[in-house]
Amino acid sequence: MTAVRAFRIFAAEAFRDGLRRRLAFAVALVLAIGLAGAQSCTQLGIGSMEVNGEMIDGSVFGGFLAPILFGFQAWAVLAITGLLAADHLARPLAEGSAVLWLARPVSRGVWAAARLSGALGVALLCGVLLLGGTGSMLVLRQGVAIEPAFAAAAATALGALVVASLAMTASLALGRTAVILLVLLGLVFIAFANGVGLAAELAHPDIGVGGLIGAVDRYGPPLFTAIASAVAQWNPHLDPGDTYTQSMLRLAVWAVGGCLLLVAAFRTREIES
Amino acid sequence: MFSLELAGASKRYGRRHALASVDLAVPQGTSVGLLGANGAGKTTALRLLLGFARPTRGAARLRGLDPFDAASRRGVGYLPERLRLPQSMTLQRFLHLHAALAGLEGAELVHEIDAVTEMTGVRDRLHEPVDGLSKGLAQRAGFAQALLGQPEVLLLDEPTSGLDPLGVRDARGWIESAHARGATVLVSSHVLSEVERTCESVVILREGRIAASGALEALLQPGESLEDLFVRAVAGREAPGPPKHREGREAPGPPKHRDGREAPGPPDGLGG
Repeated sequence: MTAVRAFRIFAAEAFRDGLRRRLAFAVALVLAIGLAGAQSCTQLGIGSMEVNGEMIDGSVFGGFLAPILFGFQAWAVLAITGLLAADHLARPLAEGSAVLWLARPVSRGVWAAARLSGALGVALLCGVLLLGGTGSMLVLRQGVAIEPAFAAAAATALGALVVASLAMTASLALGRTAVILLVLLGLVFIAFANGVGLAAELAHPDIGVGGLIGAVDRYGPPLFTAIASAVAQWNPHLDPGDTYTQSMLRLAVWAVGGCLLLVAAFRTREIES
Repeated sequence: MFSLELAGASKRYGRRHALASVDLAVPQGTSVGLLGANGAGKTTALRLLLGFARPTRGAARLRGLDPFDAASRRGVGYLPERLRLPQSMTLQRFLHLHAALAGLEGAELVHEIDAVTEMTGVRDRLHEPVDGLSKGLAQRAGFAQALLGQPEVLLLDEPTSGLDPLGVRDARGWIESAHARGATVLVSSHVLSEVERTCESVVILREGRIAASGALEALLQPGESLEDLFVRAVAGREAPGPPKHREGREAPGPPKHRDGREAPGPPDGLGG
């Protein structure tokens, strides 16, 4: 039994396990609401309209609508990832079904990575449906370019890996409710810190944000910055510069660190039998 | 090479010693009963051997390897005391996954699943969800997964739990046949009669320490049952006889040799 084969077996099972959970219904509901929202928001087609006697090209609206809508949906995908990962590793450990798997010739790291992949697989499937649907509507109805959608989707996928690995690591020490609260509050706080950082960068590039918010923005996982700098390309008035590349590199570092932390934490954990 | 080893292994939870300097070496092909009162450290010993926990002091080895090395669990079958089968999975898929993890592939995998489900009497339940099986059937399913691939080491924690008398007799047969083909079998159990019938050696734990260990025939005095030995080792006193008569006459004393000598305390054998 090679580690790769064991990983494939466990990852496929973890993915099925994710789809079978009751939470999957809630996730499906969020997806339906998200797509219905996108359908509603993108119904305003391309064309010109008169506002206070002035003719405005419809693509101007697309330049504002697309970043906000796509950014919000990407954020929803990250939240869904956190909810799925909050107990995807901890639940089989608490139930006791994990001991049978871990008594097989499989390293703990392989099993933890497979559970992470399973949760991430379900989250990314949601991401493909939600972001793919929203992106398609924006491109077809608003006439915006497709490249920023791919860039933002890549940032969301990398961000999801960071969120899932950190949420799973936290779930080895905290209960499910605590992890969910941590994920949601963490996402809101990082979005706020990244938003403040981006606003300060646009308004006063020479002045950095200080304090905890500044530290989170500079050293924390740039979840919001990476997505925002990708979708900002839809708006001709915003110039994200090389923020996207820098954010993706930092996200990649956080993703690797999160996975290593998860494996290290799980290796030291004692398994109840 | 020893299949199972604990070398001065201690495990502490806070101030409580679950195991204290336990030495144990089980040679390949031996069947050993691990006995002890509740909280004596039986399950902790199994957890150390399987790499589910690290000893606070000392070392554990499974098939000569560190149990935290995944390779040590190759050829190991395990049945936990609190068997929790995964949710929403058919018995067939459950066994298929375990067979694959045990290194079986293709026709051999299919044949092995057929063989163990036939043997454990769950073949007609293959398409049912494992979490919906009755306790007895779940225990049989647990046995089926533990026996997949003819493991060379079989670790069984309370294996007859939840089984009806027929199931208990069947389980005894599975354990005996595994032992007969050369597997090392460690049975942790409270059911002394089963251990007496299936194991050639016993290790009795008391408060995390080995109170007695060795071959059954060497430990048991003539006329003494395993229960007598257990009480002597665990309670630290001679096996109680029948209650005293009301008028104060002594009930028969502890087991004695036929020549009238009192049975000595338990000698050491497997343990250190």
